[in-house]
Amino acid sequence: MTVRAHATVPRPAPLLLAALWLAPAPLAAQEVEQVIPGVELGLVYETTYVPPIAVLPFRSVGGSGNRAEIVRGIVAQDLRYSDRFTVVDSLPALPGEGVDYGLWDGLGADWAVTGTIESTGTGGTVLEIELHDIVFAGLRERGRFPLPRVDDPDFRLAVHRASDAVVTWVTGEDGIAASRIAFAMRPWGDPAGSSKELYVVDSDGENLRRVTWDESIVVSPTWSPQGDRVAFTSYRSGIPIVYERELATGEDRPLETGQNGQQITPAYHPDGSTITFALLNGRRSDLHSYDVRRRCCLSGRLGEGFHKNLQPTYSHDGSRIAFTSNRLGTPTPQIYVMPEEGGPAVLISPYRYGERSYFTDPDWSPNSSKIAFAGRVDTGRTRVGGIMRYQILVADLDAGANRLVQLTREGNNEDPSWAPNGRHIVFTGERRNGHGVFVVDTGTGRTRTLVAGVRAEDVDWSPALGQR
Amino acid sequence: MYKTRLLLAALVVAAACGGNEPAPPPAPTGPTPEELERRRQDSIARAQAAEEARQRAEQERMEREAARRAESLRRTLQEVVYFDYDESTIRSDTQDRLRAKAEILRDNPAVSLRMEGHADERGTSEYNIALGNERAEAVIQALSAFGIDSNRFTSVSYGEERPVAQGSTESAWARNRRVEFVVTAGGDNLR
Repeated sequence: MTVRAHATVPRPAPLLLAALWLAPAPLAAQEVEQVIPGVELGLVYETTYVPPIAVLPFRSVGGSGNRAEIVRGIVAQDLRYSDRFTVVDSLPALPGEGVDYGLWDGLGADWAVTGTIESTGTGGTVLEIELHDIVFAGLRERGRFPLPRVDDPDFRLAVHRASDAVVTWVTGEDGIAASRIAFAMRPWGDPAGSSKELYVVDSDGENLRRVTWDESIVVSPTWSPQGDRVAFTSYRSGIPIVYERELATGEDRPLETGQNGQQITPAYHPDGSTITFALLNGRRSDLHSYDVRRRCCLSGRLGEGFHKNLQPTYSHDGSRIAFTSNRLGTPTPQIYVMPEEGGPAVLISPYRYGERSYFTDPDWSPNSSKIAFAGRVDTGRTRVGGIMRYQILVADLDAGANRLVQLTREGNNEDPSWAPNGRHIVFTGERRNGHGVFVVDTGTGRTRTLVAGVRAEDVDWSPALGQR
Repeated sequence: MYKTRLLLAALVVAAACGGNEPAPPPAPTGPTPEELERRRQDSIARAQAAEEARQRAEQERMEREAARRAESLRRTLQEVVYFDYDESTIRSDTQDRLRAKAEILRDNPAVSLRMEGHADERGTSEYNIALGNERAEAVIQALSAFGIDSNRFTSVSYGEERPVAQGSTESAWARNRRVEFVVTAGGDNLR
């Protein structure tokens, strides 16, 4: 066979494989399309090569083949959700051991993944994953990942770590399979009730579970940078106060700032030492920080006048904060960026004098100068049926002043939060067929439904949940 | 005159020709002095009871009146005030309501209130908590301007989490943009 370099453009796909490929989902018929003036539409993406990867049947040594098939299914799904590959996993098991490079090259695959599950001497189980380079006809990488029992709540998470290793082997970048998304929602069976609780779901939409039982209002969850804690706002004491949940123990601790006042919209500093939040104080709300390691040292960054300053989010290096404020004197909020220690704030949302625009929910990418946020502009034209729609925007502070890309156009879209790879964004949406939580890949524009039929709020994507 | 005499004569004749003699009435026996005294006491007791009942009724009437008035004051104190969309400024049609509340608070110095700020569903829920707080604090400021000590007030914002009207209509939104007043102390016997 001829030696080829890994292609950067698609090579002609043989007929068999073409039929097996998942055709790129056509852009769904748009019920209402709205474009916010002054921003670029992010819906036209550069054509990038998405290499085909074959996920071959996994072997189970001394265990059931069913378990191997479950694990293989999780890995294949994860690789599909990475939006880095065209996954070929619906082939019948081929006889014999080893990888037939010639066959797979003929079928058009660039990569192949095999897996073996075996019991260790100590009673545990290990998943061994191999990445085969079809183009160069050889084994590229091999990794071993300990698995808990199938009925362990972290079983799928352990498999997701193996999937992420495959993504990193091929692309050199982080995967997102081993991560979770937290959000607030009215409990099942109580849709008309007035309580709201926290839920967590795995990155593939599995394992949805409730994590607070306050029978109160719980909102604004945010993951610690280590993924071991979630801070949130709860009304359990009668007024909104920020608590920290230690996930391993389920223990909650209030901030104990020693100052009265309602606390909302917590955010962690990237080093995990500090929580910055909005303290409601008189008619104003201002950003304050509290050292959660030393359990002390409340400090404030006071604005002027009666303005509302809230929803802080740290830049990846911790040097700046993006936040929501109405400090221009408009009744509606806009997005600003200021130095971490306070100081002059720069407007980054597309505010134009005289327009009634509304921008909130900023979330700073964990590895770049991109800030995602949600908002609307009421120009008269964007008003549909009396209700203005919210869309997701991304500002890139490194790409020149006020470069903005609009990521969504259909329905209502709010609460964006970056995945740990700084590429995918989770958000809450409302479509013609109902509410849900969605994930968009900012690289390809591909959107998938994470949780269908739920009216979630304040979604927050965890960091990569490595082994603890 | 002749006719009258004739009638009288006829009556006399009829009486003379009557049959059975009617039984004589029993000899009248007067009440004993004891009985008279008992009756006197009874009548005094009845009069006293009637007077007490009247006083009790009057008392109850006044209490009902006071309770009604206290209830009316309480209603005035708890009357919800409403706000414009995305606004926390006190509307001109709300000033009279706040003045009435301030008068009650002045007359009843033991009363404490909790202001509960709310927003309609539009906008993000987190921003709406800050907006509800601003509304509750705007009301506190307005009452302080009428001379009421702001230490008598606490506030909490529920944002859009506790709507009173369901649905995405202008009228539902208008009813949800509000501050509610909860009496936390001194709410009995308002004067």
